[in-house]
Amino acid sequence: MKQRSPQVVARRLASLVAIVAVLVVAVVIPNYLNGYSLYILTEVAIYAIACLGLTVVIGWSGQVALAQAGFFGLGAYGTAYLDSHGISWFVAALITAILAAVIGMLIGLPAARLRGFYLAIATLAFGDLMGQVFNEWTSVTGGPAGLPVDLVSIGSLGETRSLWYMSAAFLAVSVAVLWHVSRTRWGRCLRAVRNIEIATGSLGLSATKYKVEAFAVSAFLGSIAGALFGQALTFITPSSFSVTLVIEFLIVVLVGGVDRIAGAIVGAGFLVIIQEALQSTGAYQRLVFGLSLLVIVRFLPSGVMSLVYSLGRQALAVMARPAAVDEEIEPTVKVAS
Amino acid sequence: MAQVVISGLQVGSAYALMALALVLVLKATDVPNFAMAEMGLLPAFTVWLLISHYHVNYVLAVLAGLVAGALLGVIVERFFIRPVIRHSHFAVVFMTIGLFFALNSIVALFWGSSPRTIDSPFSGTFTVSGTVVSYQAAAAIVVGFVIMVGLHLFFRSRAGIQMRAIAEDRVTPRLLGVRLPRVFRIAWALAGAIAAIAVVLAAQGSVLNDQTGQTLILTGFVAATLGGFSSIVGAFVGGLCLGVVENLAGTYISTSSASAVSLLVVVVVLMFRPEGLFGQTGVREI
Repeated sequence: MKQRSPQVVARRLASLVAIVAVLVVAVVIPNYLNGYSLYILTEVAIYAIACLGLTVVIGWSGQVALAQAGFFGLGAYGTAYLDSHGISWFVAALITAILAAVIGMLIGLPAARLRGFYLAIATLAFGDLMGQVFNEWTSVTGGPAGLPVDLVSIGSLGETRSLWYMSAAFLAVSVAVLWHVSRTRWGRCLRAVRNIEIATGSLGLSATKYKVEAFAVSAFLGSIAGALFGQALTFITPSSFSVTLVIEFLIVVLVGGVDRIAGAIVGAGFLVIIQEALQSTGAYQRLVFGLSLLVIVRFLPSGVMSLVYSLGRQALAVMARPAAVDEEIEPTVKVAS
Repeated sequence: MAQVVISGLQVGSAYALMALALVLVLKATDVPNFAMAEMGLLPAFTVWLLISHYHVNYVLAVLAGLVAGALLGVIVERFFIRPVIRHSHFAVVFMTIGLFFALNSIVALFWGSSPRTIDSPFSGTFTVSGTVVSYQAAAAIVVGFVIMVGLHLFFRSRAGIQMRAIAEDRVTPRLLGVRLPRVFRIAWALAGAIAAIAVVLAAQGSVLNDQTGQTLILTGFVAATLGGFSSIVGAFVGGLCLGVVENLAGTYISTSSASAVSLLVVVVVLMFRPEGLFGQTGVREI
């Protein structure tokens, strides 16, 4: 039996309490919010799920893959199409997500050979190509005119609440699974592939295998998020899944910190809330958005969350000064050029 | 067929110039500049404004656009890129994305999204062995070629050699007296001016509005990737090939397939040649 210091036990307990509290809040919050606020919160959860996929592929495996908007769209279109052909929404979302994971593997296989910038361009092109398919394959996607989505309602919850519970539940499950995975063999190997790819080969780990699996996980999450996003939009058009969406996803991971699970959630909250807040500025929305990005990067180049994290770390250090440090060593991630 | 190739080369010339601007900035300062096309968009609108509202002579207006582009490049480098460039690669990428939004919305606020045209003084056509070539297409191709050769020569000049040295190694050239800020400034100024020409050429091929930059930045990156990102000639040939492939697909498959085919080309090429194509091989492979 491993002996744990009281500080570690206390911290574990504190995080357990925090997790339960968050879950309770997630369950009861629809009672206290109006439809619009709940919708915003749902949107945050959906963006967070998609960006968790980026946390895995960009943050952990270190591959700058920019096809997520394509998988997001695939999830939305595939689920809506199957759903309208008599398959239950949940099964449809699952089938589409598995299909997305397979496609993710297929593009991951050749992409594992590409480095840095070439990978970014190839995946960006692939994502955009999917957008073209949504535009052209009119018999399935409805083309530029769009495709209406049948809304799901669980029991007597109503559509808005159902969507919130579905999104929140899936986000919770993904966070739990990824958090667990990040400290098991698979997660560590993935980071080893990112940090010292040459060494992994001599340890008998196939870098390609881990990269391809990261692609698959990322595509799966992107597709599920897309299926939920289709429900939120109620009507999907190809323009919802353009390059702008890729940029939004990038902003999420950059703001929150690319290799942290919490980063995807915080970043998603930042993006959605700032966009909603700027809605009132009308024509100036994009300008204010761009300028706020410029100001943030200029004065907080490591992302907004770096400030919060470093304050939190300092607070922790003050509270638990003599405690044994069981924090992970923070790897720094860079876009290879 | 030859007709299609020529108009492909005309479009490709704009792509090629955008790719050159991207490669220039990437080589010198190691920044993938997502705002490159928007940095050309503002000067292009200046050119349009000068010609259509103030009836300035075409050549003078384009010269003013070049100066505006170079100036914008210097401003962006000095006040937005340099403060964060030492921090992290992510921060710089983030910065260029922010610039993309800011510049694009400035253009949209001032001029809306209605399409404009920049009139070219080169009107009429001539015939080469049965193929009708418009002077405008010829001018676009020649301009692209001249700039490519110019850049090629520039990299053999003193400032160009310094730039190449800095791209190879950040430390040693500085010990030998190369001034890093100056090299960065020159690279961004040149890239800004080239981007301005690229957008003007693209606008003359079709129309100028606030969307022009978004298509051009993607094709520019694709062209630079095809060319292998490091070689000037490679990026140029990559751009021309991309234009021709798009036009051929647009003519012989369907108009809407043009951009899809070019994206497919880059995915396929990278699968077989992970480091991109260089120069002549590019022509054969495609």
